[in-house]
Amino acid sequence: MAKSITHEFVKGLWEEVPPFRLVLGLCPTLGVTTKMQFGIGMGLATTFVLVCANILVSMLRKAVPPKVRIACFIIIIATFVTLVELLMQAFAYPLFLQLGIFIPLIVVNCIVLGRAEAFASKNGLFLSIADGLGIGIGFTLSLAALGALREILGAGTITLWEGIELVNLTSIFPGFQPFQFMVQAPGAFICLGIMLCGMNMVGNR
Amino acid sequence: MADPVTVSVLALMGIGATCGTVLSLASKIFYVWEDPRIAEVEYVLAGANCGGCGYAGCSAAAVGVVNGQAPPSVCVVAGPETTIQVAEVMGVDPGSAEPLLSANECAGGFRAENKFLYDGVKTCAALSAMYGGQRVCTIGCIGSGDCIASCQFDAIHMGPNGFPVVDEIKCVGCGACEKACPKGVIHVRTMSERLLHFNQSDDALAPCQQTCPAEIDIQRYIAQIREGDYEGAVHTIRERNPLLLSCGRVCPHPCEDKCRRGIEDEPVSINQLKRFVADYEMNSGKRLPIACAPDTGKRVAIIGGGPAGVSCAYFLRRLGHHPTIYEAMSKLGGITRYGIPEYRLPDAVLDWEIEGILNLGIDVHYNTWLGEDFTIQSLHEEGYEAIFMGIGAWKDYTLGIEGEDLNGVTQGIKFLSTVANHPEKKIPVGKRAAVVGGGNSAIDCVRTLLRLGCEEVYIVYRRTRKEMPANEVEIVASEHEGIKFQFLAAPTRVLDDGQGNVKGLEYLQMELGEPDASGRRRPVPIEGSETVLDVDMVISAISQQPDIGFMEKEPEREKVELTRWNTFDNDPEILRCSLPYLFTGGDVATGPALVVDAIGSGRRAARSIHQYITGEEIQGSPKSLLKRHIPESLFKTVPGVVASKRTPMPELEVAERIDSMVEVDLVISEDDAKHESNRCLKCCRICYDKDDYAA
Amino acid sequence: MDDYIVLIVSCIFVNNILLAQFLGQCPFFGTSKKMETAVGMAMAVIFVLVMASAITWIIYKFLLVELGLTFLRTIAFILVIASLVQFVEMFLKKSIPALYAGLGIFLPLITTNCAVFGACVLNIDKEFGFVQSIVASLSYAIGFGLALILFAGVRERILLARVPRPLQDTSIALVTAGIISLSFYAFQGMV
Repeated sequence: MAKSITHEFVKGLWEEVPPFRLVLGLCPTLGVTTKMQFGIGMGLATTFVLVCANILVSMLRKAVPPKVRIACFIIIIATFVTLVELLMQAFAYPLFLQLGIFIPLIVVNCIVLGRAEAFASKNGLFLSIADGLGIGIGFTLSLAALGALREILGAGTITLWEGIELVNLTSIFPGFQPFQFMVQAPGAFICLGIMLCGMNMVGNR
Repeated sequence: MADPVTVSVLALMGIGATCGTVLSLASKIFYVWEDPRIAEVEYVLAGANCGGCGYAGCSAAAVGVVNGQAPPSVCVVAGPETTIQVAEVMGVDPGSAEPLLSANECAGGFRAENKFLYDGVKTCAALSAMYGGQRVCTIGCIGSGDCIASCQFDAIHMGPNGFPVVDEIKCVGCGACEKACPKGVIHVRTMSERLLHFNQSDDALAPCQQTCPAEIDIQRYIAQIREGDYEGAVHTIRERNPLLLSCGRVCPHPCEDKCRRGIEDEPVSINQLKRFVADYEMNSGKRLPIACAPDTGKRVAIIGGGPAGVSCAYFLRRLGHHPTIYEAMSKLGGITRYGIPEYRLPDAVLDWEIEGILNLGIDVHYNTWLGEDFTIQSLHEEGYEAIFMGIGAWKDYTLGIEGEDLNGVTQGIKFLSTVANHPEKKIPVGKRAAVVGGGNSAIDCVRTLLRLGCEEVYIVYRRTRKEMPANEVEIVASEHEGIKFQFLAAPTRVLDDGQGNVKGLEYLQMELGEPDASGRRRPVPIEGSETVLDVDMVISAISQQPDIGFMEKEPEREKVELTRWNTFDNDPEILRCSLPYLFTGGDVATGPALVVDAIGSGRRAARSIHQYITGEEIQGSPKSLLKRHIPESLFKTVPGVVASKRTPMPELEVAERIDSMVEVDLVISEDDAKHESNRCLKCCRICYDKDDYAA
Repeated sequence: MDDYIVLIVSCIFVNNILLAQFLGQCPFFGTSKKMETAVGMAMAVIFVLVMASAITWIIYKFLLVELGLTFLRTIAFILVIASLVQFVEMFLKKSIPALYAGLGIFLPLITTNCAVFGACVLNIDKEFGFVQSIVASLSYAIGFGLALILFAGVRERILLARVPRPLQDTSIALVTAGIISLSFYAFQGMV
């Protein structure tokens, strides 16, 4: 089966985009998307771990004895997660505080382990990078979209990055009352459910 | 404090080493023996834990494979490569496993009535949670297609009549549909499992199939005839009955008595249709291939090559075993050859049919007699793992009256087999003959006598025509041929002409009294009504019993239990006798019965023998019907039936047939077969197509 | 004592691990299609979570903190939890086969269950003492079980409802979870 790098990259953006098509990695998806910027931050952190883990797993795939492959993958992933934690503490501390527990939780994110086990352990380096990058970016975009939706409804703003507000409804419509429910826990479920429904409607023409 | 890098590396290694040590110690301390193949199979499986196979994850599936509950092809995600690897681990040949095929038994669909309207989610699982589904039938297809959604291979689609249809070419037998179906009407079975399946009370069965002693899927083969798939119809019949040419000719078709159309109209001529496709195969000049399961190398001895023995051998062979038939006569066929006259079942037809069955790889020893050439014990010592006894019931009962030892007195089966044994089917007979009895053998005797040149032939029967157990068509045919009937006559004496020959038959006239236990009115003799019938030949055809003369030479005779009718005492469900390796079926177990009964019991015995020699526990199916009917499937009235003429049996004119043994009954034409198959109501358990349904 | 009651109520209802903290969503949606599996999963989580929090607490306090290696928390915890799950699996198989038959198949799934890992990390973040950690973990696990079983019950009923095609399956499940979450939200004012 010929696999092209572009194909592996692109499939992560639509065909297999988590968490919509592959219903995986829901915890950070629901937990951090109160603002678009958190979604982007979380997505980028995950992408970083995903790509690095895919690289290492792919390179080591022939050296790792099959019996302990899952354990090895977990340690590889845990290493990169720790790295991300340290990096974020150093360079993006406010974001780190906001994302909180979900950064260490990347370690048990099914997407990361799933890609390492299902793809990188069976494919070459470049394909694995393309796969990791594709899925990672797809994940980031999904989180950003969900974050944007929840933020605009729940707070009336869309924040791209700390201090960069793309939209601010309260300044456009002074009487705007934010729909607070959306940025709270129940809103996360319902918002994602409705987005998934929308995806299904588009997907099934 | 040392360098933090060293410390962290050491700490991590320490944790890792501790975990590793504890785990490896634990694996020793808490070691539980487990088949090492489980781990090997699990390693080969995809590891996706998807649950598509129906097991809770890959390790559970691996356990299933090793325990023999799941086939090597259990994994629905991985391709044939994995199947081969799993098969290697298990040490089986992946190719030798019989292909599993899915089949939907329910043919109800839209026509089945709804008991309520349902507006919720259209899945079978949801519907079945609501009072077992919206349809009236408790076992039938709900029709929302959960099986279709479950199929990974696009092998099931919704048919035009509202029930799913399986594409046998695409089906891989993964079993997902069977698990998805909340009703259990879709089954994934191997050929062997289909051959071994007996009617159960929760099957989708039409009344005719419930009645048939061989349990042929009648509705299905008629549907195949309707669609012009004659070969498919032959295969359907062969799953239950190897002797379709013979049965198509001689079967008294009890199925037609329960035909739903028969309640409002004339029943469908089921047996004519069977004969039509059977003759179609024979006349096409080529034999349709018959599939057999992979060889098991197990040997089974079959004593007696009659319908029961041939049927048992045929099913055992198709299950992969090696049966050997021991036949006393010079040809196989038993009572179908030696008890049924040529004009009903020509030798040439029977020869063709039996040749096809033997071609599957069944050995036969001809002219070997039980009790003289071998015994049950000697066969067992020869290495046969099981023995089937199907020697039939060949010993005629005698009348027990004075003069029975005179020249010109003989018995039914003895007479018929003497005729059958003669190469030109000709033996000298008297001018005027009386046949005592009212069964099919008696009718066979009188019609044979007529063909052998006897001028006046009487049936002497102690009750009336209404009570005659012979088939109605046979009685009518013999009336057409000029047979005279002497009803209400009980023979009392055969008269001697002074030289040891028969001069006449004296009988007492009877009248019908009170009904007896069988429900028939008991004939009571009229005092002083002795009458003499002027005949020079008397045949008594008043039933038979098994000839158990061989038992004297049987070392195991102490262990074999017989009934008071000299039949073998067996369990009617599993057909095993008091000797654990001895199974019996057919007339030797039941006393004189139908050919199709013998065929059915041959298959039933084959199932028990299969279970016995493969080391399983011998058991019947828990919901076995054993010729009982499902009460809800028997109707008093059948609304929606428009009367349509039943195709009459085509037969030779009396003048053309009366002087020779030429076959009397003819096969129906293709057009008639179409017409007749369209008369079928396509019954299932409780639903059926009304005549105006198609319109 | 009152502190513990507040802690328990807070961990079971207010900060429900599934519905408010969003930990362990994969098994929440994966094993809630049937009540039977949901109950099995809930039991397995209760069992493992309590043990895991106890062990990780000890390791954190007496090893990582002592050595000044708190940044190794993630990697050390996942190692310990994975080993623990495997150990428990082996132990149950040998010693309590009846329990293993019920829970066994769920144990491997727990290795990558963020509820277990997350609860351990939360206990550390909130600077709970040992007993508090155990009580909190048990409450979290009970909250997990409660939400999962409630959710499974609702999902079984949803089978019988008319759901528009695009909303079917995960989509409606998410909306349902949102509504259940809303009902748990009502406990907000209690603590």
